[in-house]
Amino acid sequence: MSLPPDVVLQVDDLSIVYRTDRGAVKATANVSFALRSGEAMALIGESGSGKTTISLALIRKLPKNAVVTSGQIFYQRDQRVRDVLKLSGKELREFRWNECAMVFQGAQNAFNPVLKIRKQFEDTAQAHGWKNRAAVRKRALSLLQLVRLDPERVYDAYPHELSGGMKQRALLALSVLLSPQVVILDEPTTALDILTQRAIIDVLKDMQRQLNFSIIFISHDLSLAAEMADHVATVYAGEIVEFGGVADVFYESLHPYTYGLLTSVPTLEHAQDRLQSIPGSPPNLITPPEGCKFHPRCAFADEICMKDSPALTADVGEHLAACWHKDRLIESRKGRA
Amino acid sequence: MDARATSNPALAILLIPWSILRGAARFVSRLRANIPGMIGFIGLVAYFIFTFILPRFIPFDNEPNLDEIVGPIGSRIQLAVHRDDARLRTFEDLAGKTVGVVDQTGGPDLIAPYADTLTIEKYRWTSRRAGPGLETSLVDLANQEIDALLIFSKTVTELIDSQQDPELKALFSENIVISNPGLGPPHLLGTDTQGRDIATHVVHGGRVLILTALIGGVISTVIALFLGSIAALTGGFLDSALTALTNLILAIPRFPLLVVMAGLIRFDNTLYLGVLIGLLGWPALMRAIRSQVLSLRERDFVEAARSLGLSTNHIMFREILPNMISYVMINFIFSITFAMYEQIGLVVLGLAPINDYTWGVMLYFGRSRGTLYNPDGASMALSPVLAIAFFQVCLVLFARALEELFDPRLRAPV
Amino acid sequence: MATQSLNAPLESPWRDQLIHALRTALTSYTARVVVQAIVTIWAVATLTFLLVREMPGNPIDVLIEQILTQEGISYQEAYDRVAASFNFDPDASLLDLYFSWLGDLLRFDLGKSITSPGTEVIDEIARFLPWTVFAVGMGLLISFVLGIVLGMTMAYYRNSFLDHSLSLLSSFLTGVPNYIWGLLIIIVLGIQLNLFNVGELRGTYDISLTPGLNAAFILSVLKHAALPIATYVIATLGGWMLNMKSSTMGVLNEDYVNVAEARGLKDKRIITSYVGRNASLPLFTQLTIAVGFVLGSGVVIEEIFVYWGIGHYLFQSITVRDYTSMQGVFLILTMGVVFSNLFADLTYGLLDPRVRISGER
Repeated sequence: MSLPPDVVLQVDDLSIVYRTDRGAVKATANVSFALRSGEAMALIGESGSGKTTISLALIRKLPKNAVVTSGQIFYQRDQRVRDVLKLSGKELREFRWNECAMVFQGAQNAFNPVLKIRKQFEDTAQAHGWKNRAAVRKRALSLLQLVRLDPERVYDAYPHELSGGMKQRALLALSVLLSPQVVILDEPTTALDILTQRAIIDVLKDMQRQLNFSIIFISHDLSLAAEMADHVATVYAGEIVEFGGVADVFYESLHPYTYGLLTSVPTLEHAQDRLQSIPGSPPNLITPPEGCKFHPRCAFADEICMKDSPALTADVGEHLAACWHKDRLIESRKGRA
Repeated sequence: MDARATSNPALAILLIPWSILRGAARFVSRLRANIPGMIGFIGLVAYFIFTFILPRFIPFDNEPNLDEIVGPIGSRIQLAVHRDDARLRTFEDLAGKTVGVVDQTGGPDLIAPYADTLTIEKYRWTSRRAGPGLETSLVDLANQEIDALLIFSKTVTELIDSQQDPELKALFSENIVISNPGLGPPHLLGTDTQGRDIATHVVHGGRVLILTALIGGVISTVIALFLGSIAALTGGFLDSALTALTNLILAIPRFPLLVVMAGLIRFDNTLYLGVLIGLLGWPALMRAIRSQVLSLRERDFVEAARSLGLSTNHIMFREILPNMISYVMINFIFSITFAMYEQIGLVVLGLAPINDYTWGVMLYFGRSRGTLYNPDGASMALSPVLAIAFFQVCLVLFARALEELFDPRLRAPV
Repeated sequence: MATQSLNAPLESPWRDQLIHALRTALTSYTARVVVQAIVTIWAVATLTFLLVREMPGNPIDVLIEQILTQEGISYQEAYDRVAASFNFDPDASLLDLYFSWLGDLLRFDLGKSITSPGTEVIDEIARFLPWTVFAVGMGLLISFVLGIVLGMTMAYYRNSFLDHSLSLLSSFLTGVPNYIWGLLIIIVLGIQLNLFNVGELRGTYDISLTPGLNAAFILSVLKHAALPIATYVIATLGGWMLNMKSSTMGVLNEDYVNVAEARGLKDKRIITSYVGRNASLPLFTQLTIAVGFVLGSGVVIEEIFVYWGIGHYLFQSITVRDYTSMQGVFLILTMGVVFSNLFADLTYGLLDPRVRISGER
């Protein structure tokens, strides 16, 4: 298996099922995408759409009842390609954080309350064979500096002595301690106040510029996605329904769901009365609808949508969308504008 | 039919049994999934039948039977009698006869009640195995100087068998019958130090214990509920004073306090002991209930009731209590186990009344009369031990099952 | 600001600084718990004082009565004798008696034993108490460690067969009273299976040996303490297991454990420093409650095994109605509980940084 040299992570045809008492939940179906070095990709979609499942699969931290039914996840570093799903226990442990770090949702409790921040940096380094404490300290202090914290004070503090925003930033510093190629951020700014959110985004941009890692971030905050991402993938009912450059997806949506998401966000330019919400609710993933999974909520749906599910295809360039009626959407968008 | 009628505490209290009953029905239907809980529940029902209904049909065996005595030391008691008098079987049969007693731990104790009707000559048996004392008394018996010999040992058969002197051996085997009773039906669990049926004692031995534990449990739960809610609902000085008092009592080791008080007071009625246990047992639960009420008080529905200007009574009995009832029930069961623990502990130490023949008293006698240390006395020692142990385990299993059913955090994830 | 701080040393003499230091000290957490402990001990001392003197059939009168009937001396003589053993002046009022009892307590004078004249109660306590502390301490230590390990195992394998059987086991261990466990050990293991000689294991060590740091003596001490220790372990283990299980299950759901796994930490490190350490925190507070309970229940356990510790001494004092010994032991037991609580309160901060006393700031 060889990948294009600038691709660090490539997901092929990934399907994941959760076994529950009520049946198998098809959380992710046939997801494919590639992440290039130094690029930021956003996964957007409603809660429960499968964004988090995809990201958990990347570091194999899925819940115990999850089964990967198909697919591969390839990771490339220095021309060496590995399938993440086939890593042994020890390899996986070494892969985590060293190659791919994940900043979970609600980082408020991400630090062990009884250990100093210093100890948790050292633990992480030590687990990956980095034993020189002085070197760890030096690197950690410079990273804490980078995330705009008072390095000396924070490094020797207990987690409860830091504020929420400080903890989030310390966690960001910790996430890049081992220079991973990929950092996954799951809702990195939720539960923070608006000013702290702003600071975190600035810090992130700074860090990416200096350390040049790739970012996958999951958010339902579209403005954040627009600001941070190079590429955007819209996830609906466990499938990627639209994928493309951030400008393409946001300004020329080719999937009615993405379009619906965008028009449900208030902006300064648009008046409040133009806001719309998407009717209906996300489908039950135990018995998903036939055909296009979005058809029950879609204004353009007709018979074909109920029978066959559309493939994720591109008409022009690299802007992919899974919809039978891209043309109708383009028409309607023109009409509204 | 207005709101004030339902906030009447008396009426509200009447509603508590109803809600308990409703909860119990729902509980049993849900309990089926919880096997240990079901075992506990069935066990408790069995215990109830066992101790409150069965005794009506099975009389308490209070007839000492010499033939079936389990001796206090090395072994079962043995009665050696002259062949001519082989029908001597019970203490009553021995009335007016000359009886030799091989004096060992517990021997005189056993004989004491019959001392007036027996002519007893004491023979001291010094050596551990068949010694000269025993031999002399056997010779006396064979020569009819005494009519019967009570030996608290099983070595008498061995003594006769091991006799070297052919003349003595003939004298014993021709003239002496050894009565050596076995266990089994009709005595299901065997017999005790006085030859009384243990099974009937086990059946009768739970009633007073369980009643006492219930009294203790009810008293401590009611006090805890009352003081805990008062402290939480009134707050201020009363709250601080009650909390300080509770903390103080909690620092005193409860069992030694009971031991000292029981040693000073020397109760003559077990039920009073239950009252004392109850009066000392509330603080831990009071603290828990206080914090429960405090947290419930902050909940929306109670806030709503308060903003509607409903009375404290209404809030306590209609809003807070129904939400705590399962919690209180669980702790009531645990306080029964504590009361059980404490009273039996006192009985075992001999500091509680022993006039009711309970499991605890059986244990006390087992210890004080040494049956506990008799390999043949297993039944007498183990019957009360297991009766107590399983009752406590059933209570705990049942309470744990309740906890699991009512506490959503403990429930297994769906 | 600058001038003020320059002038400050001149304007605040050492007396003000001392008062300030005292005020901070007294309002601090440490001071509060220490004061609480002292007040508790004082209250219990008062309670014992009243218990012995004001209870129905109060011991002093009973004792005087006893001496009168036994020895046929005058009432005054008997009264004086009792007064001497109770450490009180016959002519003093109740309040004077109370204060002199408190004063004696401060000098660690618990009075003389009534039944064995000339013996100081405090000496007797010093003779018996170490054995109890040893047995109870060992028992609790073993069961605490074992309970933490088993509880974590249950949480890691929750809803497995192992979990269900351990949980049933824990119900048995906690449900059955500890003295019943003791009796079961004696009856089943000692008498029926004859695994050891119950009679030989009485006392705290083989009296033919001379106490000292020699192997034979230490072995004998361990042998004699083994049964009480085993009983304490069995009877307290179930509680630790269940508490540790539920605590661990809570911690396993915490984000920091999840993150630690994502950080690629080794399982051993996660289990010990992340899960184990956090999950066992609440158990340390319960340890002090257990100390009180186990110390108290020692009365029956020591009596059953005829282990000569403080509980045995208390029971002996009660059977012979040696009231001074009784109140002395009871007070010591309470102090044991209070001090172990105090110790826990003061050291908890070392375990959990979130409640660490901010003394240096």
